[in-house]
Amino acid sequence: MKRIFVDEERCLGCRSCEIACAIKHSSSHKLEKAIQEQPLPISRIRVRKDEENAIPLQCRHCPEPCCVYACIAGGIRKDEKTGLVVFEEKKCVRCYSCVMVCPFAAIKLGEEEQPAVKCDLCQEEEIPPCVRACPTGALFFGQAEEFQELMEKRKKRGKKNALLNIG
Amino acid sequence: MHYLILGNCAAGLNGIEGIRSIDKKGEITLISAEPYPAYARCLITNFLIGTHSEEDLYLREKDFYQKNGVKVLQGKKAVKIFPQEKKVEIDDGKKIPYDALLIATGASPKTLRVKGEEKEGVFGFRTLEDARQIAKRAEKAEKALVFGGGLIGLKAGYALKKKGLAVEVIVKSPRILSRVVEENSSRLIARWLQEKGIKIRTGLAPREILGDKEMKGVILDNGEEVKAQIAIVGKGVSPNLSFAEESGINIHWGIVVDNYLRTNFQEIFAAGDVAETKDLVTGEHTINALWLAAQEQGRTAGINMAGGEKVYPGSIGANAAEFFGLPFISMGCVQARNGEIIKEKKAEKKFVYRRLVFKDGRLTGAVLVGEVEAAGIYMALIRKKDRVENLADELLEGWVDYGKFEKILEGKKGFRETITPDGRLIKLP
Repeated sequence: MKRIFVDEERCLGCRSCEIACAIKHSSSHKLEKAIQEQPLPISRIRVRKDEENAIPLQCRHCPEPCCVYACIAGGIRKDEKTGLVVFEEKKCVRCYSCVMVCPFAAIKLGEEEQPAVKCDLCQEEEIPPCVRACPTGALFFGQAEEFQELMEKRKKRGKKNALLNIG
Repeated sequence: MHYLILGNCAAGLNGIEGIRSIDKKGEITLISAEPYPAYARCLITNFLIGTHSEEDLYLREKDFYQKNGVKVLQGKKAVKIFPQEKKVEIDDGKKIPYDALLIATGASPKTLRVKGEEKEGVFGFRTLEDARQIAKRAEKAEKALVFGGGLIGLKAGYALKKKGLAVEVIVKSPRILSRVVEENSSRLIARWLQEKGIKIRTGLAPREILGDKEMKGVILDNGEEVKAQIAIVGKGVSPNLSFAEESGINIHWGIVVDNYLRTNFQEIFAAGDVAETKDLVTGEHTINALWLAAQEQGRTAGINMAGGEKVYPGSIGANAAEFFGLPFISMGCVQARNGEIIKEKKAEKKFVYRRLVFKDGRLTGAVLVGEVEAAGIYMALIRKKDRVENLADELLEGWVDYGKFEKILEGKKGFRETITPDGRLIKLP
């Protein structure tokens, strides 16, 4: 299946992916309106950053997902055809059981009454907005082998993305 | 091949799916005591509050059993197992033969053992029917008592509070959630619940339920009389295994199973609240009567019944819940019992508490109140049993820097790997 992969050497921690994701999952799909929505739209991708490193984290759509067994509402399933781990948001009772077991801490809960959310790989988009929004090519959407090839190419080329050298 | 499954909840349901992941053709018969398709037992709280209907609780599509070729005997119970004959007798007198048997009969609420317990208005909180009866009675009730400070009792109390009743939790031990979290979290959660209007009284137990046919109140063991129209008994559960008692199947706390969820009989398996498995953290045999454990065990047992060889790494005591917007999660060993090192972080005014428990350099337990989003990282570390002593402080801060986390996951660059429920590292396909 096509997944989002990360070349974390290219991640600047700029959080463009977070903004793109939140806009995509807003009701208006427009930045200027999304920031005024109540409740605020939640980004399904989360950039972890410290002094030296940064990396965006989101649902890995695991082959054997821990969250499926944890959900007390039967609201999470692994779709055998698409490979997606699917959250049925209307079933969520905010029990935090999925949060308890996700090794990537990729599940978020918003304000009271809002269901748990995570990356859905934006099925209706050719390329997920987070990937499109990444200015450095740190995010990649495709098959594992394609990503592997890309990484080898980048390794051969030897130098980092030009953007990383600014300043 | 004929598979027989006793029980139609988390373990039984996942048993079906486990079997079908390997054997598409074998016959499956399932015996279900309750007259519904498998439902989300934990969500009877939401049913009681009124946000969920019966149908909302169903765990699978309507045609699930039919699609999976499962013959369901509804409203029936096993009364005796004959392992030598490979047959199970059910309560209508019939004997059903099997080639492989899954015991997934779950557990039932323990009783109070006090005078007057049989009166109307005294409930366990386990089944949809319990919730239905409580909801009905709550319409004309003003006050409910909860006996026991465990999660089940608190959830029932929470639901009744949401329905507008006065709720008083009566606990014999000095604190609530004594088997789930340690003292600090317990105190914090108790304070939160009291601020939201649930009264908590410790060191007390009921002596007698008062009333005629219907309960009208209770006498506590200090002699005090409390008026109430509903009492919830939340004193824990005991496994449903009376039908197996004289069968020769190994029984200790529950039905004893090995790492394959197999009993001492080759073709008999057990999973869920009735099964006694190895605890992943302590290594001791125990029953972790939890939804997560029941689902994983059911799945694993099903696979092994169908000829697979899936090892179950052991269950982990782990709970997550949210009351009035305050979440908390606990997992593994939460107390210092034997040389454990405790790291903790408090912001009690904000109802935030975090506690990590390390043993021999490995994370063996965690409790999080208020801010819980990183919990799964702790769970992964407990399951993988990696040495993380050098990361203790960072872990306590709530997150591990990704680079170090990656090392923990032994993942290659780009997070191309993930870990499975049984703690194995696998490549993302």
